[in-house]
Amino acid sequence: MDSGYGYGSSYGGGGGGFMPGETSSPSGRRSDGNNTTLRPITIKQALDATQQHPEADFHIDGADVGNIYFVGQVRNISTQSTNVTYRIDDGTGEIEVKQWIDSATADTMDTNDPKKSQVVNNGYAKVFGKIKMFGNKRFVGSHCVRPVSNLNEVHCHFLEATAVHLFFTKGPVGGAGSAGGAGAGAGAGGADATMGGVDDYSARGLPAMSPVAKRVYHLLKTEPQSNEGLHAQLIAAKLSLPMPDVARAGDELLTSGVIFSTVDEQTWAILEY
Amino acid sequence: MSLQTPRVLPAHLHAFHPSNASAHVTNTVRILGTVTALRGDTATITCGNNGDVTLILKPDSHLQMGRLVEVVGKVADVDQGLGIRVLGTTDWGNPADCDYKIYENVVNATHRFKSVFYDA
Repeated sequence: MDSGYGYGSSYGGGGGGFMPGETSSPSGRRSDGNNTTLRPITIKQALDATQQHPEADFHIDGADVGNIYFVGQVRNISTQSTNVTYRIDDGTGEIEVKQWIDSATADTMDTNDPKKSQVVNNGYAKVFGKIKMFGNKRFVGSHCVRPVSNLNEVHCHFLEATAVHLFFTKGPVGGAGSAGGAGAGAGAGGADATMGGVDDYSARGLPAMSPVAKRVYHLLKTEPQSNEGLHAQLIAAKLSLPMPDVARAGDELLTSGVIFSTVDEQTWAILEY
Repeated sequence: MSLQTPRVLPAHLHAFHPSNASAHVTNTVRILGTVTALRGDTATITCGNNGDVTLILKPDSHLQMGRLVEVVGKVADVDQGLGIRVLGTTDWGNPADCDYKIYENVVNATHRFKSVFYDA
């Protein structure tokens, strides 16, 4: 029901029906199922992740997080009848991971297979799951915890997490504001090649803006469009962002005077100057 | 978070020395190296091309020569400068299986984009 709702109302019901649903529905359109992204993070990021209201998706670097994965050292394993709880430490923080034991598969080879239960105390493990809250405690509900036996995988993970962080805070490689950090990691040569059309933001001295606003601006800049610009809902659909976020980004861009509204308040075009 | 162990190279040890405690809440660090000397209660690890570090071992530390180890420990004074008092070690086997360059880049990234990894 969740996934059907967002799409149905955005296209069929018009803007009016969409917005209230977005903000008042307690479980939100975005919970389970809709956000199927998988993001590499550090445990510190999981602990720092913010939540608009209980049950909402967590945000890291201003972006919704669906599924996450991280690599860390197992500090404690406690096996209960319904779940296995691990304490994982990756040097940036410590978090509890709960893996529910699926009674349907518990009897079969999966959990009893000695080769599979190689996650050991003080060994490294890779955890896939979702950030959850229970009372005031944050934990990760995991569907897969597997041992890591190659140190390069650990290091690679941290570099991946950094790259994704930079993507969300500074925009795509070669996109807005990549001159500062991203280029250093990705190799300046590669970044330059794709930069051509896009990087004139920073050259023209765009004001500082949120990552979402940057993405909206980038879309308006690159998407083929008439001189009426693009409607906010189209932008939301193209960027798979919730409407309120797009509206906020639009306000930000309108206020700073880099876009203007055309046929109505929700249709924006780049203000060329 | 209280339990942070920044990944470092030998050159960074001084920044985590207890005498510098004002700058860092922690003086517990994580370092990677190959065991190149064992002398009873101390040992030496070689960190790629970044020099050696002396470790002050715990009675229950079991290091083996020529193995790659990840060490978690506190920065401490040893005879000729700075070393690490070991809290825990993880054996990563043959040093040839790990590209030390990647580790150097990780250390670089963790310090450059600190907010992802460590509190100020």
